Amino acid sequence: MTKPNDAAPKGGMSDHTGRYVIQPNGRTTPLSPHMEVWRWHGTMLASILFRATIIASGLGSLFLLAWLATLALGPLAYGTFLSLAASPLGLFVGFGLTVVLFSLLLNGGRHLLNDAVIGLDLKSANLLSQLAIWGPPIAAVLFWVVLFSTGRVSL
Amino acid sequence: MSGSARFRNNVKISERHGSREWAVEKVALLLLMPLGLWLASTAFTLAGKNHEAVLAWFSSALNSGLLALTALVFFGFSSLAWKVIIEDYIHKPATKSALMALLNLICFALAAASVFFIVRLALGSAPLPAGV
Repeated sequence: MTKPNDAAPKGGMSDHTGRYVIQPNGRTTPLSPHMEVWRWHGTMLASILFRATIIASGLGSLFLLAWLATLALGPLAYGTFLSLAASPLGLFVGFGLTVVLFSLLLNGGRHLLNDAVIGLDLKSANLLSQLAIWGPPIAAVLFWVVLFSTGRVSL
Repeated sequence: MSGSARFRNNVKISERHGSREWAVEKVALLLLMPLGLWLASTAFTLAGKNHEAVLAWFSSALNSGLLALTALVFFGFSSLAWKVIIEDYIHKPATKSALMALLNLICFALAAASVFFIVRLALGSAPLPAGV
């Protein structure tokens, strides 16, 4: 039986995945990910969230197009757009759009850095991923707090 | 299709146009970094403003030019990024190419519609439907 063990091997090879197994012959080896043998990593979640961001930004662009269309349709149509945007559902959508925009910036920035072979060591990759995961909702909340506190948007 | 594989820095060079598409997607995403920041600041400026104030914003050529550029770069990036998603999950050739065609059509239509509206707003055209 192989047994998962979080302890690092004594002087053994380390692949920085942080989990090891003791083989039947007593040797300690890194645990290889397989169908059901894996765990969540920040890098993995950031990667999944970037794909989700691409899908969400595509759908979100339709709302921005509606903004442009109602503007072009004149003051009456734009008034309808503004009242819809000020409704609870409209505010929820607006908040979602800012999360997606900040996710495109922060997670996209992470992707660009990693594509340029920057920040690929374990520590930087984890840090960039955590920024890409937590940055967008935090930035969006701050954005809306300032919007409300400066009176640009009110309930 | 081609002869022996070619390598650069021990990495295989793509045989056809895959690597160029990848590079174009990265350049588009790079352009979206400053444009996205500008879009966020624009959203902040225009939030809750009435029709007149927003039209005044559009009358600046810099504003409407940057917005049109953002729309074009975004929908270009979008088409390449969605293409990768389709390629990853759809393996039936007929379905895949049909979805790609639909994707490109949608992205083109959305980009064209964006530019159409932005140009009208920038020129201060009469509200649509014009001429009715």
